[in-house]
Amino acid sequence: MWIYLAKRTSLAVVIVIIAISLLYSMILMVPGDPTAVILGPRSTPEMREALRADMGLDRPAIVQVGSFILRVFKGDMGTDVFTNRPVSQIVFEQLPYTMILIFAGISWAIVLGIPLGCYSALNRNSFIDKLTGVFSVGTIAIPAFVIALYGLLIFAVHLQWLPAIGAGEEGDLVDQIKHLILPAFAIGLGWVGYLSRLVRASMLEVLGENHIRTARAFGLPEKLIVFRYALKLAILPTVALMGVGVGYLLSSSVFAEIVFARPGIGKLIYESVLTRNYPIIMGSVLITTIIFVLCTMMADIINAILDPRMRENL
Amino acid sequence: MFNKTNASEHPLNRRNFLKMSAAAAAAGICPILQPGVLWSAEGGILKIRDYSDIKSLDPSFFLSVPEENINACIYNKLIAFKPGRKWEWELQAAKSIQQVDPTHITFELREGIMHSGGFGEMTAEDVKYSFERVADPANKSPNIDDWGPLEKVEVTGKYTGTIVFKSPFQPVWWTTLPYTTGNIISMKATEKVGGKYSNDPPSVNGPYMLKEWKPNQRTVLTRNPVWKGPKSYFDEIRIFPIDDEKTAEIALESGDVDFTRLSIPSLKNYTKTPPKGAKTEKFPSLYWLWMGMNQDNEVLKDKRIRKAIQMALDRKTIVEAAYFGFAEVANGNVPAGLLGHREKTTLPDKPDYDGAKKLLTEAGYPNGLDLTLDVLNKSTFNTIAQVIQAVLSPAGVRVQINIHDSGAFWVLGSEKDSDRWKSIQLIVGRFSGVPDPSYYTRWHLSSQVGIWNWERFSNDEYDKLDKAALGETDQEKRAAMYVRMQELLEESGCVTFITNEVIPVAYRDDIKPAFRPDGTPLLRNFSKI
Repeated sequence: MWIYLAKRTSLAVVIVIIAISLLYSMILMVPGDPTAVILGPRSTPEMREALRADMGLDRPAIVQVGSFILRVFKGDMGTDVFTNRPVSQIVFEQLPYTMILIFAGISWAIVLGIPLGCYSALNRNSFIDKLTGVFSVGTIAIPAFVIALYGLLIFAVHLQWLPAIGAGEEGDLVDQIKHLILPAFAIGLGWVGYLSRLVRASMLEVLGENHIRTARAFGLPEKLIVFRYALKLAILPTVALMGVGVGYLLSSSVFAEIVFARPGIGKLIYESVLTRNYPIIMGSVLITTIIFVLCTMMADIINAILDPRMRENL
Repeated sequence: MFNKTNASEHPLNRRNFLKMSAAAAAAGICPILQPGVLWSAEGGILKIRDYSDIKSLDPSFFLSVPEENINACIYNKLIAFKPGRKWEWELQAAKSIQQVDPTHITFELREGIMHSGGFGEMTAEDVKYSFERVADPANKSPNIDDWGPLEKVEVTGKYTGTIVFKSPFQPVWWTTLPYTTGNIISMKATEKVGGKYSNDPPSVNGPYMLKEWKPNQRTVLTRNPVWKGPKSYFDEIRIFPIDDEKTAEIALESGDVDFTRLSIPSLKNYTKTPPKGAKTEKFPSLYWLWMGMNQDNEVLKDKRIRKAIQMALDRKTIVEAAYFGFAEVANGNVPAGLLGHREKTTLPDKPDYDGAKKLLTEAGYPNGLDLTLDVLNKSTFNTIAQVIQAVLSPAGVRVQINIHDSGAFWVLGSEKDSDRWKSIQLIVGRFSGVPDPSYYTRWHLSSQVGIWNWERFSNDEYDKLDKAALGETDQEKRAAMYVRMQELLEESGCVTFITNEVIPVAYRDDIKPAFRPDGTPLLRNFSKI
């Protein structure tokens, strides 16, 4: 297991370095002058030239990428060109909002999606199974931002049960939870469908396997068979999916944070791309890439713990 | 020579000025330090949506309107825009201000305006420091042009001084003194933090002070305890940066914000069904939108082609489609209500397809021609581009639309960035404005070719008129110069004026807002009904 962990961690580091290099190169290739956006239309070419030099944009792309990675290893992600604040400070200010949103979104999806999937598998072709099927496909097909907009119109505008924008008052947990409900609902709803479909399919496959038939032949209680022997195996693809799912949720959070005018890393990246604020883009993308790689790594490790055969596959 | 002691209005002419001078006799009507001016029952929180977060509250490094909306609350200017539908200014930190000759403006500050943080009273030294630091090239302020040919500010007493220009500079009354680089900051406080700051002003002197700035979330202003002037109504102003207009509209309807700017399609909907508990209003904007043609492009260098396209361009249809009938077709870039506004155009009212085809044939394109049109990726511009594509088609002009995001679009014509300026053919451009005509015409000077003048229009008469108009104190003559400049632009075929747009806003119906004539909120003047 330790060898597996070491290999998996090394692979994660390599993935992060390659991903960051690729992203940096892609960002540099996007047309547009960040200094024109930063200094505004009234700036002179000389001012823009000076800022370009300050930002290191006059150096070859490869030098910029290398210098960024070196600085990151030293713990320096650069400085925001607008406010002169450290990028790490700005990114870590926003990160908790996104992580809480993702956690809330995925949590309620797990709480609802996995039992629904189990129930559907155990009651195949029942009314609830069919209803779950329709519901799942429907929620998977609807984009998160559409759910967000309708959620806002119904619960914030018409019923006025929940607030429309922001993340709530600092120190007021109830207010923060109120502000979290709609965005978490919007980004998690599709995942309820995904998880229920996936768990149902896995469960049906596992329930048809020999060891389950043997367990039943031995007269073990159905609950024990389902939760101890079937679900443990059926959950494996779900765990792997959750790792990748964090990446999707990070994307969904961009929509949610814009639609709900909620702070977070997604909104930060969106605004930074519009203003070509390269230091912030790179800092934010670095952190989200690390989170994504960590999540997939954790999913792999959990899978390796649950199924020792996986350790051989790296 | 003229003398301004209390208020001014646009367009400026001698008659108007005499009226203003008469009004100046009533200078005591709104003295800044008269504590008796109070709202009936002030208090509470005002929640405002602005379209972006703040980037710098240092007036010298101002980048966007949301920053000035806050600066106008935390600082004072010698003169400030007066709320209303007419462009006027009123005295703010100044007790009096006079243009004593074309290059000298004298002022006297009101006594007792205090800088927060124990930095003492506002003096003429602060005025000198605030203005000269913007105009000093060493400070690399992107707003250096606001002060034009400023030579210096002479301090003649604790509260008095003279603003000295190297050459006459009329825009100072409309684009500088009452706008963001006219904000006065504390010299001592600013020098204490190294001469420059960002979103953490070391000291303020207006009715509000910065309580909290949470990036991407909100900016909170609270009452400035050392402010002794007229008390603003609200105890606290919260400004939420919301980029998406639809989200802002939902926030207004749900009561999460009290004021927001609206999108044009929403104005159409809200006109039919007003938002619950809110009112809408529309204002003529200071923006100007045009279709440009790059005269250095291989195809468009023939003026006949440019003129043919102008003849075929159905501006009325474009404006109807993109602005749902709420905006007017413009005949110039200077909006109505400002000095130098152009009333008439030489272009036909209706598209002249036969005339256009004839010109194209003469230019060697009897079967029409293919052109590209570059636009910004905003829904209104996309609509405009599609309508242009449709209306030019009957003349035989086939248009391919290229859509760009803001970062890519705004460097298309920049020679410094790439060679793309050579391939630009048609563009839909939109610039913001300030209430002085010079700000509208300066972008098409020969010196701007390859910077902001993407049409690469170059005309000696235009350049000379710009220089002369900046210093012309006779407002009627000045207006005529700007009208002529717009004629030259249109006549070249490089620029076809389309509209000055409208600004729709909405606010909760218990709010009594205060706006500049272009719908920009003057937050320190907001109150409740």
